Amino acid sequence: MGKVVLIVDDSSTMRKIVTRCLRQAALDFDKILEAGDGQEALQVLQSESVDLVLSDINMPNMDGLAFLREKRGIAAIKDIPVVMISTESGDDIIGEARSLGAKGSIKKPFTPDVVNTTLSPLL
Amino acid sequence: MALDLAEQIKTATVEIFSSMLMLEVTPGGTISSEFTLHSSVTGMVGLAGTHKGMLAIHIPDEVAKSVTAHFLGIDVGEVNDDVLDAVGELANMLGGNVKSILSAKGRDIDLSLPTTIYGEEYVFQCSDDYQLIIIPFSVNGEGRFFVEFQLEG
Repeated sequence: MGKVVLIVDDSSTMRKIVTRCLRQAALDFDKILEAGDGQEALQVLQSESVDLVLSDINMPNMDGLAFLREKRGIAAIKDIPVVMISTESGDDIIGEARSLGAKGSIKKPFTPDVVNTTLSPLL
Repeated sequence: MALDLAEQIKTATVEIFSSMLMLEVTPGGTISSEFTLHSSVTGMVGLAGTHKGMLAIHIPDEVAKSVTAHFLGIDVGEVNDDVLDAVGELANMLGGNVKSILSAKGRDIDLSLPTTIYGEEYVFQCSDDYQLIIIPFSVNGEGRFFVEFQLEG
């Protein structure tokens, strides 16, 4: 069965760019789902089968760190891997994301090569 | 404002356009006074904490439509929600880069969510207690845009 990825970003432009980049990185997902913030992402994860989440950090309503915090408290979805894709690159913030369960991080701007290198081991 | 910071903003802008848009942009000499914007879209993010300021990117409508078309791989005929979102995301990426220049750890500066405005004629004002730097960039013969940074102190 094919893999399913969920892209979480409040920018519709960035969701489209990430989608394009996944294809350029030769990472073939059968299904690409989208959510505009952490709250929406939690809803998607509880209603769809998802193999990987790519999440922004700075978002309205529920940001990426709050999303990680909520997600790890929900048994059915806590083990789904999350990689942060964000303008944030500070050691403290990325460190907090890691401590909350993020499996990796990609800094914007990014290239298909960086996306491939970061995501391939998780698939 | 340190010239180093201006140079780093130039480098970050060139990298963002190159890697995300496959567009070559060329920085010009810095400007240090306000000017009137005509038929433009502005995306901006605020910085708060140990460094307070504002990072903005001002893009004339025609260039903004072209940049959005590069971003999304679609034809863009007017300044619409896609254009506003794309310019806001450019401001977000630039703000994130400036934040990482000013703060290695990231916790001592908060970055706001991007805001986008557009209009026929407007001026971005800078308070007297803020340092101002404006960098023009040319885009592959398609026109110019401006990156503006205001920093308190």
